[in-house]
Amino acid sequence: MVQPVLEWQAGRVTAIRPETRQTKSFSFALPKWMAHRPGQHYDVRLTAPDGYQTERSYSIASPPERLGEIELTVERIPDGEVSPYLHDVLMPGDQLELRGPIGGYFVWEVSLGGPLLLVGGGSGVVPLMAMLRHRAAQHSTLPARILYSSRTAEDVIYRDELDGMAAADPTFEPFYTFTRQPPAGWTGYRRRIDATMLAEVMRPFDRRARVYVCGPTLLVEAVANALVQMELPIEQIRTERFGPTGA
Amino acid sequence: MDNDQADMNTALMVDGNAVAGQLEQIFGRDMTMAIARCAGCARDAQMGALMAFIRGPGVVLRCPACQNAIARIVETPSATYLEARGATYLRIAAA
Repeated sequence: MVQPVLEWQAGRVTAIRPETRQTKSFSFALPKWMAHRPGQHYDVRLTAPDGYQTERSYSIASPPERLGEIELTVERIPDGEVSPYLHDVLMPGDQLELRGPIGGYFVWEVSLGGPLLLVGGGSGVVPLMAMLRHRAAQHSTLPARILYSSRTAEDVIYRDELDGMAAADPTFEPFYTFTRQPPAGWTGYRRRIDATMLAEVMRPFDRRARVYVCGPTLLVEAVANALVQMELPIEQIRTERFGPTGA
Repeated sequence: MDNDQADMNTALMVDGNAVAGQLEQIFGRDMTMAIARCAGCARDAQMGALMAFIRGPGVVLRCPACQNAIARIVETPSATYLEARGATYLRIAAA
């Protein structure tokens, strides 16, 4: 298959939706839209009046079944160069330079099979959500679970949608853990993801699980090391580290 | 798993996947599934799974097994430099 050359294009903001205090979802209409693979990202480029340019990568949250548009969910990093602009300045109708979809490593689609275990921390849930939305759009019944670490209940992105998916689909189940302040009356996990928690969530899948881990680097390191110690075949593990920020 | 104890370098590390756009611009195709053989330890790794350090003036890709520097990428206003002597070879599967 010949791939089109990766080039910058001007996406037009069609919608901005707050998700949590720190995250917003931005929808862009793209003149050269092409179907992505769930888990891929787009690069965003800003150019200052003096010509200074800076780029950041943001995971696609929307499934490829949504035609002509992509949605990026972006966490606002207070001292960041790009995310404060997106959060505080960008308005519907504005244009932004984007290139993508990018990356063939951290991707999952229904044809790759399951069972599927997704492990996310903070805004690391974003590419995992693209996988789950794709799975739902395809009416797949491949067993899927997500283990999602957040600081507090207010920091959980897509909570209603995840719970709605689970209510409509007995083959999908979300597990949440809260590392700072669990909601009142919470009886679930309330600590960082560890080997015991992973083993509990993964138990019905045994060692057949395809595992995708995305989040702050130290969370991903801890989870990947625990999975290897549990003797999960390394080729079934895909990781995406996004640095020091997040939950 | 005590995050406070971890080395700051580890916290700043991301995956080769994070520079997939830059690599695709250089090679004209997705490189995250291409295999790099480390010149230091002879282990094979998918480029998307290399350790990537992107906060400096350039990008450094390191072997996830031995941390040898596989490649460095620097972009200047007039050119892109790719130094890859840390790789014995890259295996790019036929598209």
